Amino acid sequence: MLALILPALAILIAFQIVPILIGANASFRRWSLFDPQKTFVGLENYARILGDPIFYRIVLPNTFLFMFASVTAGLLAGLGLALLLNRRFHGERIARTAVLLPLMVPPVVAAIMVTWMFNDQFGVVNAVLAVLGIEPVPWLVSRWTSLGIVILTDVWLWTPWFTILILAALQTLPPEPHEAARIDGAGAWQLFRNITLPLLRPVLMVCITIRLIDAFRVFDIVWTITKGGPARSTEVFSIYAYKQAFVYLNFDLGSAASLIGAGIIMVVGGVLYKALSYAVEVSR
Amino acid sequence: MFFGLTITAATLLLVFPVAWMVLTALRPASGVFYVHRGTEFTLANFAEALAKPEMKEAFFNSAFIATFATIFSLAVTITSGYMLSRFQSRASRLWFGLIYLFRCIPYISWVIPLYLLTQWLGILDTYLGLLLPHIAIHICFFSWIMKGFFDGISPEAEYAAYIDGCSRWGAFFRIALPMATPGIVALGILSWLSTWNEFLFALILTGSRTSMLTVRMAQFVHETGIEWHLMSATAVMAIGPALIVTLFAQEYVVKGLKV
Repeated sequence: MLALILPALAILIAFQIVPILIGANASFRRWSLFDPQKTFVGLENYARILGDPIFYRIVLPNTFLFMFASVTAGLLAGLGLALLLNRRFHGERIARTAVLLPLMVPPVVAAIMVTWMFNDQFGVVNAVLAVLGIEPVPWLVSRWTSLGIVILTDVWLWTPWFTILILAALQTLPPEPHEAARIDGAGAWQLFRNITLPLLRPVLMVCITIRLIDAFRVFDIVWTITKGGPARSTEVFSIYAYKQAFVYLNFDLGSAASLIGAGIIMVVGGVLYKALSYAVEVSR
Repeated sequence: MFFGLTITAATLLLVFPVAWMVLTALRPASGVFYVHRGTEFTLANFAEALAKPEMKEAFFNSAFIATFATIFSLAVTITSGYMLSRFQSRASRLWFGLIYLFRCIPYISWVIPLYLLTQWLGILDTYLGLLLPHIAIHICFFSWIMKGFFDGISPEAEYAAYIDGCSRWGAFFRIALPMATPGIVALGILSWLSTWNEFLFALILTGSRTSMLTVRMAQFVHETGIEWHLMSATAVMAIGPALIVTLFAQEYVVKGLKV
């Protein structure tokens, strides 16, 4: 019986648990190229990260803004699309294929596509604006437009995921509550607000939890679109830790930063987990 | 009317970026800056993009790693999922908590020390050094999903096989495994795509010898951001597997996602 899980367990320990321990060890030491001693310095690295204005003024706000904006927009768009698709119509197959497509596209490719579309000189977005008589916008030279574009890319990538999961849930809802409410004269909005939404709560909670946790660690699209720029203004948590370790070659600071992030998301995740269990419990 | 318009608009929005990229890839170098004007089209960009040896290598490496990471991840998690489904009682809650915990830890927290570990093991920038972390990252989540597959199969048929003289392993291979196959295929497709699409591990754990497609493309966009026709052609080819799956294996993907 143990043989069944042994290979999985061995790889898990060697390449997931051991690395975390190595990272924790490095975060308590001076671990750079210039110090072969690897002197134990306690919490100094943590203090340096937490005291870095870039970390608490830019990186954390960016990360949380990205998380909430992207998950909220993805959820609303996904829910809307799922409600639209939850019926039989002409061209259903085409619409469903279109919905599935962004989900399969490599995020790096999505980021490249968006970078090209928002190119300040030759991008299609500015070309459309020119037709409308609006001056071309240099999208990627300011913090807020850059972040907006990154969020937009993420919404494009993940709306389909929300749609598919919510659509699947919609199709398994019992029809009786809706019929009863309709007989009682409920309108479309009332039906949605008082029947559909409460019934969907468990699946919505699962979607939100998973996506918030994943959005916290976003790396690929930010790296491809902005590299954290202009002037470090769009760095998110993963980019910050990556740069500490592999650009400035401070493995100690990088490890400390990555573990601080892990700590933050565990707290957020813990709260979400409680909310999730509660939502699933209530709906039973 | 309202419904038709909204659904059409939504479909167009979802498809537009990909369509625009395809269109850009089909324009000659001279026409690329004004994609919306001109009617010249060419397939030469694809040939030119593939002519670069580092791109050819990157395509091969990505396909190779994705295929083997999928095979090995499935192989080790089928049995662990089966075990979780058939033998567990109290362990289930603990296991789910563990999976949730591992899912929470951001990839960057693994990958910084993984760099040190693979370097120390001497497998940095080798296939093995990328395969093993990819398998590790899949283990928890896949085991959980596999457990779900086997939970959905009644053990009655296996009991019947024991009575007919089948061994535990025999029952697993002849009864349980074939019944779980559709789900496993769905998971395999998603696993393949997720490795093909993956960026952070590929960026840190590979160098010039095992460079992956996503990393090459990201470099490409920063270094030679002007050659948009080649960039687009490469990107369209990188979407190839995704297109094939979306068009021909849709049911499997939807099934895999729903678990």
